[in-house]
Amino acid sequence: MSTVSRFGRIAFRSYFTLMVLFLYAPLVVLLIFAFEDSTIQALPWAGFTTKWFHAAFSNTDLTSALRRSVFIGLLAGVAATALGTMAAIAMARPSLRLRPLWTALMLLPLVVPYIVLAIGMVIVLHQLGFTASLTAVFVGHVVIALPYSLLIVLPRLRTLDPSIVEAARDLGSGGFTAFRLVTLPLLMPALVASVIISFTISFDEFAIASFVAPPGTPTYPVFLYSGTRTPALEPEVISIGAIIVAVSMLLVLSAEVGRRWADRRIETA
Amino acid sequence: VSSAAVPRARRSVRGWRPGPGLLILIPALAVLALLVAPVVLIALYSVNLKTNLLGVPTKFSTANWSDFLPPGSNPFWDRFKTSIVITLVVSVITVIAAYPLAYFLAFVAGRRRYALLLLLLAPFFTSYLLRVIAWKVILNNHGVFNSLLWDLGLRHQGDGISWLIYSKFSVGLVLFYSWVPFVAVPMFVIMDNLDRSVIEAAYDLGASRFAAFLRVTLPLSIPGVIAGFVFVLIPTTGEFITPLLVGGPDSVMFGNSIQSFFTDTPNWNYGAVLALWLVAIVMVLLLVFGRYLNTDLRDPGP
Repeated sequence: MSTVSRFGRIAFRSYFTLMVLFLYAPLVVLLIFAFEDSTIQALPWAGFTTKWFHAAFSNTDLTSALRRSVFIGLLAGVAATALGTMAAIAMARPSLRLRPLWTALMLLPLVVPYIVLAIGMVIVLHQLGFTASLTAVFVGHVVIALPYSLLIVLPRLRTLDPSIVEAARDLGSGGFTAFRLVTLPLLMPALVASVIISFTISFDEFAIASFVAPPGTPTYPVFLYSGTRTPALEPEVISIGAIIVAVSMLLVLSAEVGRRWADRRIETA
Repeated sequence: VSSAAVPRARRSVRGWRPGPGLLILIPALAVLALLVAPVVLIALYSVNLKTNLLGVPTKFSTANWSDFLPPGSNPFWDRFKTSIVITLVVSVITVIAAYPLAYFLAFVAGRRRYALLLLLLAPFFTSYLLRVIAWKVILNNHGVFNSLLWDLGLRHQGDGISWLIYSKFSVGLVLFYSWVPFVAVPMFVIMDNLDRSVIEAAYDLGASRFAAFLRVTLPLSIPGVIAGFVFVLIPTTGEFITPLLVGGPDSVMFGNSIQSFFTDTPNWNYGAVLALWLVAIVMVLLLVFGRYLNTDLRDPGP
């Protein structure tokens, strides 16, 4: 017996479709109004234009904020994944001592509100005599992305058949070689997912960045926020936003295509 | 490698213990230095052992604490209460709305479930601020929603629904919108990894679909539900961006109070009290729900 009746399947499918429409509605609105001629985003449409895209791309404040966020996001994504994988390797071992302590520590960034993290960093920077800097933003983003990375990598690590690693060891490879040649490739989908998620967290992060990014060099979300305070900037913010939405969608789509390709490769191997 | 060398290699690998487990120290140190230490510093500020204010002695004092905590009327305490109500309402609604999504993915969607999960999560990959800005365009007095009502003749031209934006409604809606897909994930993971033979067994023993759901699937998925609940509850407890963008005077949240003490009128000592109180609330929530949340990391696994 299937767990859901035929009527239930229709109901679930309709509900899911409605929710997807709800989730995509604001993105569609953003895409539509990126081409709106008027500076005020309201219906009816004043006319079609691409002038805001030109304006946005010639706004160096905006483009450099975007570049900053991509850079910090990539670095934070890789660093958080490296740290998260280290934690996952340790925690996958049944013999790990003091497990509750490590668990609590690793999950802490997930539960401490970002506003507390942000002011904590302000205080620490002040204490050490440092001024606000993009390095501080990067460091903060690594910490908040770390538990997400662990939560992505650890389950994958546990689903790996230990006998595969055992086999590598039986064939004479050392612990690290077995990890590099056997575990790491099998872990790759989780590592890629971890980098993408960590990047997204960093790229979107406003609380910490708004406190520790220097006023002259805002990250993209900090710039966006100031954009909403200045009505003249709003059309540019929306047009760049539309591009980011489109790129994000492409990224997600290519990740899915990549996953299917990887699955097929495993099937045929 | 000669056949004779193999057993020796294995033995030496087994005998060499201080290996992978020690790796935990590196991320642990990072969290200690960048998270635990700052919270300790905040604690010192909250009792005036440190201060950013001129003329305030750096001497142990609980004055700020006794000012904030009841009894006594304090605007920040009132704001905290309002904030908690918004947070709880949003979290409960989000979890209830996300559960069927996870269930659909795990039990109905079949082989396409990962593709559909991605479809659900894709908006989450786009900037949070951007989506809030889009909601402003929709909910504004002359925004998409109101002008649609006018075009359809449901309301008089120019007479928009005023509570659509800068209200508790808009804050709640945007928070719900932002968290629904994310909350579905832990529930989906739990449901997807459920041993289907347990449900089959319930059917074999004569349970109806609904009974099997109520007595097998639902209880087994509770850790995912609680994880999802905590996932939305904790960030929204400290929320301050959404109220800044779409909130009104009645929907200023506790996070905004904390922020104001570090920006508008710098008083780190009082701000530290509020921040530490927020941490304390979160810790209490974790004491209550933590055992559900942590099981995945605590168990050595199969």
